[in-house]
Amino acid sequence: MPDSPPPPQASSSEVPSGGLSAGEPLVVLRGVEKRYGELEILRGIDLEVRAGEKIVIVGPSGSGKSTILRLLMTLEEASGGTMRVGGEALYPAEPAQVRRVRSQVGMVFQHFNLFPHLSALENVTLAPIQARAEDPAAARARGAELLAQVGLGDKLEAYPAQLSGGQKQRVAIARALALGPRVLLLDEVTSALDPELVSEVLEVLRTIARETEITMLLVTHEMGFAQEIADRVLFFDQGRILASAPPQEFFQNPSEPRVKQFLEAVLSH
Amino acid sequence: MIDFAFAREVLPLLLSALKVSVAATAGGMVVALLLGLVVALARRSGPRWLALSASGWVEFVRSTPLLIQLYFAFYVLQDALGIQLSALLTGTLVLGIHYASYVAEIYRSGIEGVAKGQWEAARALDLSPWQTYRHVILPQAIPPLLPALGNRLIAMFKETPLLSAITVVELLQQAKLIGSERFRYLEPLTLVGLLFLVLSLTAGAGVRWLERRLEARYA
Repeated sequence: MPDSPPPPQASSSEVPSGGLSAGEPLVVLRGVEKRYGELEILRGIDLEVRAGEKIVIVGPSGSGKSTILRLLMTLEEASGGTMRVGGEALYPAEPAQVRRVRSQVGMVFQHFNLFPHLSALENVTLAPIQARAEDPAAARARGAELLAQVGLGDKLEAYPAQLSGGQKQRVAIARALALGPRVLLLDEVTSALDPELVSEVLEVLRTIARETEITMLLVTHEMGFAQEIADRVLFFDQGRILASAPPQEFFQNPSEPRVKQFLEAVLSH
Repeated sequence: MIDFAFAREVLPLLLSALKVSVAATAGGMVVALLLGLVVALARRSGPRWLALSASGWVEFVRSTPLLIQLYFAFYVLQDALGIQLSALLTGTLVLGIHYASYVAEIYRSGIEGVAKGQWEAARALDLSPWQTYRHVILPQAIPPLLPALGNRLIAMFKETPLLSAITVVELLQQAKLIGSERFRYLEPLTLVGLLFLVLSLTAGAGVRWLERRLEARYA
C-alpha cells in the first residue's frame, strides 16, 4: 500500500481550529469508528484527502463505504476517532462546528431524493434561496445555468415524476453543486438506474471531475469509471481501508488478496 | 301534523343560529390546525421537555370529555385567570384546543409518511429544521391528510351543540328556545336535524371528492 495514509500518531493536534491552515488536507480522518449497538460498521478509518482530489471508494456491500460518506455529510455521528473537514472539527465537535462543516459538503444519493413537489429548477434553487438567503432571481439564473450544464436546460419546469432516473440524478447533481460545496460526496449514484441511463450520469460526473476543483469522494461499483476519474482508489472491507492506491496500480497490480478476489468477482460478469 | 307554516316561520331564526355553529366550527378548525401543527412539531422535533409536555397535554385533552372542558373553561378557568371571554369565543377556542390533539396525530402520521431520504437531502442541502418542515416535509405531508382533516372538521361541526351548555345560542339552543316559547319542538328540532344532515352530507361528499383527486394525483 504505497499511498496509504500516515499512521495515526503522526497527526493529532497540529492544526488550530477554524479554517484550513497551509498544507492541511481538506479531509482528515483518524481512527474513525462507527457502531450501531454491537454492530461495528467502521473500525478505525485513517484517511487524508487533499483539496481537489478525486477519491473513489469500492468494496463489498456492508463494508462501510456509504457510512463514511454519511458521517462526512453529518447525517450521522461517528462513534470514535477524530474527523476534520476544511480545517473545522466534525468529530468530536460542537453543533456550530458541525454546521460549518455541513455548509462545505454536498451529497448526491443513490435514490436521488429529489423533492417531488418542486420542479427541477425549484429543487436546485431551494437551498440557495432558503439556506443561503441568495437573491431569488440570481439563484434561478444560476440554477438554470447548472441544469443546462447537466444537459437539462429544457427541463427546468419539469417535476421529478416527469423525469427519467438519469435525468433525476442529473438534477440532484445540479442541486448539490448549487451550494458550491468544497467536497462533493456521491453515494452509488448510478446503482438505482437502468443500465442505459448510467452513461449520461457518468458523463456529467466526468465533466465535473475534469473541469472543477471540487474534491470528490465517490462510492461506486462502476470500475471502469473509477479507473478513469480517480486520483486514488480506496478498498473498504469490513469497516477498514484495506488498500489505497492510484487507479492504475489498484486495478492492474492489486497487492491485497482480498482486493484481487473482489476485482475478479466484479469484473468477471 | 307537521305545521309547515310554523316551520317556515322559524327557519330564518334557525339559519341565523346555524351561522353561529358554522363560525364556531370554522374558528375551531383554524385553532386546531395551527395548534395541532405546533403540537406535532413539538413532539417530533422539539427539545425533550417540550415534546414530553406536548404529549402529556394531548393525553390530558383526549382523556377528559369536551363538555367538561367547556364548563371548566367558561365557569372556572376564566374566573381564576380574571378574564371574561364571550361564550362563543370560549366555545370556539375550547373546540379548537380539543380537536388540536386529534389533528396533531393526523399531522404526525403524515410527517412520518414522508420518506427518510427527503430529510437527508434537506440536511445535505443545509436547510434548517424549520426550513425543512416548511419547504420540504409539510408540502408533501399535508395534501394526503386533507380527507382525514376534513372528516375531523365534520366531526367538530356535529359537536357544536355542546356549546349550548355554556349559553352559546347555536343551532340546538335556538331550537330549544323556540320550543319553550311556542310549546312546539317538532318543527324546530326536525329542522335542526335536517340542517346538520344536509351540511354533513355535503361536506362528506366534498371530502370524498378530495380523496379521489388526491388518489389520482399520488397514485
